[in-house]
Amino acid sequence: MKSCFVTAGWKFALPVILLVCARAAPAQDKKVSATHLQSETPDWSGYYRLARGKDLGDFKPVNTDLDKAIIPHLQSWAKAKMEATDGVADDTGGVCLADGIFRYPPFAGSFIWLTSPNKIVLAFTEINTAGIRRIYLNRKHPKDVLPTWNGDSIGHWEGDTLVVDTTGFNDKSWLMSAMEPHTEETHLTERIRQVDNGQMIEIKSVVEDRHALTSAYTYTRYYNKNDAAMPAENVCNDEIAEWKEWRNKALKKQYDRAHEVK
Amino acid sequence: MAAGAMLRGSVRILRAGVPILLAAAGFVAAAQNPRSAVTSPNLDGVYQAIPNGTVLPGGLKNIGSPGDLALQPAAAQQMKGMSLKDDPAKVCKPLGPFRMMARDRNKIELIPSHGMIVMLFEDLSHGHMRIIFLDRKHPEKVTPAWHGDSVGRWDGDTLVVDTVGFNDRTWLNDSGAQHSDALHLVERIRPVSGGKYLEYKVTAEDSKALAKPYTYTRYYEKVNAEIGQDICEDEE
Repeated sequence: MKSCFVTAGWKFALPVILLVCARAAPAQDKKVSATHLQSETPDWSGYYRLARGKDLGDFKPVNTDLDKAIIPHLQSWAKAKMEATDGVADDTGGVCLADGIFRYPPFAGSFIWLTSPNKIVLAFTEINTAGIRRIYLNRKHPKDVLPTWNGDSIGHWEGDTLVVDTTGFNDKSWLMSAMEPHTEETHLTERIRQVDNGQMIEIKSVVEDRHALTSAYTYTRYYNKNDAAMPAENVCNDEIAEWKEWRNKALKKQYDRAHEVK
Repeated sequence: MAAGAMLRGSVRILRAGVPILLAAAGFVAAAQNPRSAVTSPNLDGVYQAIPNGTVLPGGLKNIGSPGDLALQPAAAQQMKGMSLKDDPAKVCKPLGPFRMMARDRNKIELIPSHGMIVMLFEDLSHGHMRIIFLDRKHPEKVTPAWHGDSVGRWDGDTLVVDTVGFNDRTWLNDSGAQHSDALHLVERIRPVSGGKYLEYKVTAEDSKALAKPYTYTRYYEKVNAEIGQDICEDEE
């Protein structure tokens, strides 16, 4: 508690200090890093990259092959659409255009975590495709949310866990690389917490869509904090003609395997 | 059935442009020193550019435009040869800070963090994201980038941002004015009218392309609104 008051400083009114420290205390008891800057929101600011291999330590991602995890949950129309979809021509993400947040974060995701009053901002490294996520902590979903690639995200704290509820997706993106479709009814629930003494973030995700999935699918990923590796700029598709030529060559090699899995 | 590439993700890792890694020590040191984010004016918020012609209290108004800058003869000739079809704005590419900040109705979000201020744009594809580092200098060898390398310092209540290291992909204005690798921007950003507005002054210098340095001023209103997700979805 002492360090908590030092962090809060004298600028905060007493009720705020108490609120901050009350929230921080249980987190510290669990050896979860939680410094506080401007509000009661734990400051997890930094650059995070998807943890793989030995970087995972004892933590185990769940459903690492998301295509295999998703396809059995597809409703018949969704599976038919997937099979009729051209994995190159219809993949906006493949040409560095927007493709939502279902694919990049669990497969190759890296992001800058920013803390702002009343919201948390995740700026994905592949900003062209995955964009920016803003998780609002002080409001509910709008009644008439305009469908967007990344949906409308709201969050609340349950102990040391940030629970994020996202709705309001458009239906233009795919759930994963096999071009699994979803609808505007997609509902993403994430439970996010720090682990490994604050050096990792764990994100447990549940995806529901009553119009496209027979039941929910889940996955868990871990992200290492690595501020030293933060990219200052990553503009996808610098040379679009070169990229398209290279991409087509690369994807051609993958067709056979994709067919086998399907 | 055409295959949806099951291993597309592995390609996606590789195809992500040119990730530019920062000087590690600089960011780590900054992350351990949140001083600048605590003691300086808090610029956190969403800001929208006021339209040209609007006069704010105190007579404050937008001055100048990137379209008015003077080019050296060779650069002017080069501009005449540019096709507007190649405008980065038409292929969902970043416009660069100098051109972007002058855009009508441009909406930005500033988020102070440890040792840096992040600038996000509602027009994500054209504005992208800028990171202004407060606790380090420019690297000795800067890798050319769309937004260059930005470092900031506080001069009283004014954030002074110095940016170098631009690539040659952006235009300085809608007419196709080109710049060289010598482009140097100095931006002075400060809250005015009690924080109701943000004053933004930028000076562009380029000894190889501009006849003389050029400065324009824009005012941004702090808005109590969320910033949207305006993502460029297709090549125009």
